[in-house]
Amino acid sequence: MITPAIESVVPREQIKQNNETHHPLGNSGMHIIEACSEEDISNVLAYANDHDKTVNVISGGTKQGYGGTMKQADILLSLAGYKGIVEHSVGDLTLTVRPGTTLKEISDQLAEKGQCIALDPSWPELATIGGIVAANDSGAKRLLYGSARDLVIGTRIVYPDGRVIRMGGKVVKNVAGYDMNKLFIGAMGTLGVMSEITLKLRPLPKYEALSLLHFPEGDEKKIHDVAKRMLDSMMEPVSLEVLTPSTAEKLTGKKLHTLAIAFEDQENAVRVQEKWVTEHLPAGARQTVLFEDEARKWWGQFRQLGPNGYNDSVHSLGLNGYKGGMYDTDPNASTENLSLNDSNNTTDDLYPDGYNNESTAASIQATVKIGSQPSDVLGILQKAEQLAVVHHISIDAHGGAGHGISRVYVYGRADDVIAYMKALRSEAENRHGYAVGTHLPFNLRKIFDVWGDKPAYFALLEGIKQTNDPKKILNRHRFVGGI
Amino acid sequence: MNRMFRKKQTKQRPDAAAQLLMDIVGEENVLYLKEDLISYECDGYTMERGMPRAVVFVRNTQHVSDVVKRLNELGVPYIARGAGTGLSGGATPLGGEVIISLVRMKRLLHLDLENRKAVVEPGYINLKLTQSISDKGYYYAPDPSSQNACTIGGNVAENSGGAHCLKYGVTTNHILGLEVVLPNGEIIEIGKEGIPDQPGYDLLGLLTGSEGTLGIVTQITVNILKNPEGKKTVLAYFDDIDDASQAVSDIIAGGIIPAALEMMDEIAIEGVESAAYPVGHPRDIAAFLLIEVDGIAAGIDAQIDDILTVCKSNHVRKVKVAKDEAERSLWWANRKMGFGAMGAISPDYLVQDGVIPRTRLPEVLARINAISRKYELRIANIFHAGDGNLHPLILFDANIPGESERAAKAGSECLQVCADVGGSITGEHGVGIEKSAEMHFIFSDEEMAAQTAIRHVFNPHDMLNPGKLFPEPGRCAEVKQDMKTASV
Repeated sequence: MITPAIESVVPREQIKQNNETHHPLGNSGMHIIEACSEEDISNVLAYANDHDKTVNVISGGTKQGYGGTMKQADILLSLAGYKGIVEHSVGDLTLTVRPGTTLKEISDQLAEKGQCIALDPSWPELATIGGIVAANDSGAKRLLYGSARDLVIGTRIVYPDGRVIRMGGKVVKNVAGYDMNKLFIGAMGTLGVMSEITLKLRPLPKYEALSLLHFPEGDEKKIHDVAKRMLDSMMEPVSLEVLTPSTAEKLTGKKLHTLAIAFEDQENAVRVQEKWVTEHLPAGARQTVLFEDEARKWWGQFRQLGPNGYNDSVHSLGLNGYKGGMYDTDPNASTENLSLNDSNNTTDDLYPDGYNNESTAASIQATVKIGSQPSDVLGILQKAEQLAVVHHISIDAHGGAGHGISRVYVYGRADDVIAYMKALRSEAENRHGYAVGTHLPFNLRKIFDVWGDKPAYFALLEGIKQTNDPKKILNRHRFVGGI
Repeated sequence: MNRMFRKKQTKQRPDAAAQLLMDIVGEENVLYLKEDLISYECDGYTMERGMPRAVVFVRNTQHVSDVVKRLNELGVPYIARGAGTGLSGGATPLGGEVIISLVRMKRLLHLDLENRKAVVEPGYINLKLTQSISDKGYYYAPDPSSQNACTIGGNVAENSGGAHCLKYGVTTNHILGLEVVLPNGEIIEIGKEGIPDQPGYDLLGLLTGSEGTLGIVTQITVNILKNPEGKKTVLAYFDDIDDASQAVSDIIAGGIIPAALEMMDEIAIEGVESAAYPVGHPRDIAAFLLIEVDGIAAGIDAQIDDILTVCKSNHVRKVKVAKDEAERSLWWANRKMGFGAMGAISPDYLVQDGVIPRTRLPEVLARINAISRKYELRIANIFHAGDGNLHPLILFDANIPGESERAAKAGSECLQVCADVGGSITGEHGVGIEKSAEMHFIFSDEEMAAQTAIRHVFNPHDMLNPGKLFPEPGRCAEVKQDMKTASV
């Protein structure tokens, strides 16, 4: 049912009908179009814009459960095959890369030259750089290295009408014009499609170590004291990540509150800092130190916590002891109208009837990202544990005592999970922070606004969207306030 | 009686606009006499000037909002201004704008060491922040050379850099939150309480470096850092500038990110040695590198050893490590005097601010040299070599007919070279009015239209700092003509 018009812009073999019409995470599309070039992206978007078709964008698929109240668009534009390094300028410590390249692929290549992208989000072997930047994903080491907004120096953006616009450049310092890159980082693909990303690199650390401090029950306050003392010292920790006991158990074998303090520097400097930690170890706390490969391996496991877009059923069945629990997708949802010709397709599926008692009984997993003052992280994690008991769900959770971002991975019955997420959000908001649902099955995203309330300046966000994508074809309803 | 009468006759009276502004901020906070306005005709970029209609000193956010709303009603455009140290004319009126001066909003409002942040008003001076927290062992990282005069509000507008941004990043990497008065007078708060990644488009990132064309910042939450435990500074003298350039690349390629990596060439050295803080650099060297490494003390010696090895393998004539803080401070004072020092060896100078991939340094320096010969003007080079940010200083004498024009052309050609090698026309000084014509070197009309479309969302009637950043058709010729009559 492909129209001749779209065939004329992308070769037929790059277009296929999507047989999985009801992906449990939504954000799908009736036709999957593989982009093999920037020109493909441009042609597809221009076609969609001209013909009033909606387009969802995907590459690794790890964030398919992140935002979005549209089950499927007319087109699912896949960038997964548009990958590879365009230019790695070793002496300039810069890299230009295509969006579909996974972080692991990039890291492996850069490592040959002793360099890296200083981003450590979850699931590096699945997550692509395009998705990481579009979702502004980050990890524990942002404490020292910053996040995507500190590293992206240039992008090529395909606008919804097909224009290709360059933002920033390839030099590490640049104030010519507006810093337009920032608009696309964390915009969830709602303003344009990144066809190339240029990033600042770092040299790989000469040496690394990880101190895991385990605190006995009742001593949680000491975590705060250690973190505070460390931050007020001249030590330079790369992470100060607090892990809840259940999470620590998976990663360390010890079911205790744990503080993961990483150091990456010259070997001497790392050892001095490890020594500082030992000397400042509070009574009752125990320290495990991992060096080099051991430390890297630990972080590798840490980065496999939580959902990745493919493991929902695995987690709900296995890891946390929940039975049953594939998604209840809506069996009555429309499967006809697959033709791209039909512009009256009601793909903008804001209020389908998918949420019912049956689906709430299913076991699901969700992820919440909480932003707070760094000093509130421990309190929020403790509250997250208490609320988990109240709401009969199980969680894994960790948060940065130096950077203020916490992640809570939630497993349980859908209705419990939703109630829990609401309670967690009020807790974050009470502390002037926020909570965003970064992974949630499609059906539940309509009853829990994953972004929370619109900011007071929402009109500006709408204005920006309107400017770039007046027909709202790109990732419609994926972002804050239904943008 | 007679005297009073005369005075009354000659005294210029506030016009209706100034009168209305006085109603908001009080009579004493509005300047409208020509002699008072003259010092607001330009900022640190002096090649172009324009008279403001009035200057209004605001004391709080509500003042800014009220003033903006009143000026909108009157149809009078306006410009926010801090200390006026900008180097691209961003705060220079093109004629008839009201200047909203933020210098009296200069308080440090809040300090939260535990969460490593400080909240300041826009008129707060950059260096004062570091000074006021240094006793607790903290500092504010962005350190533009003008840091003892420039305001943090101005730093946000320009996304200012500094010598230490190689390791620590520029202003945008240190801004956590902003209170902003939009051109419609609305007051908004973005990055509330400095909490990162708040849902929504990254307006913090967009506004920082928007050169005062999207909103007026009235409160700023910045990230502060703990002082590094150790710090060492190296000075390396080279007989050949290519060797110095190669050393820069080799240091970075060797996996070291120095806190600062600065270079000066022979003419620049002549300047700084004739200015207030001479170090006694040899006059016959081609260039020196000033390299600073900081961090955990135990790790610094190994890095210094690596740096010394790199310098030696690149035929350094002499290399030394600062023996104490006094020596280190002198080296830095000498470096930070760089621009001003040009006054000691030339009646006038024009500074450019291009950026290049640092690996292209030798080639670019050769081309700048060729430009110098072509225009028969000396060009001194001071640069943040580590991040490829060049500051060619074009020396000229405005009293010699045609020299100002030649200097401007030479400067523009230097930027063309930066653009040709894949760089940018400005790394930290901003576009302002100075470089708006050169935006074409790196952006197509379509790409600039994508940016002005975003400006339209914030500043739809172009009432806030009109005519800046983006070239307007026909203005190019005007500027070139003005240049002939410009006095510096």
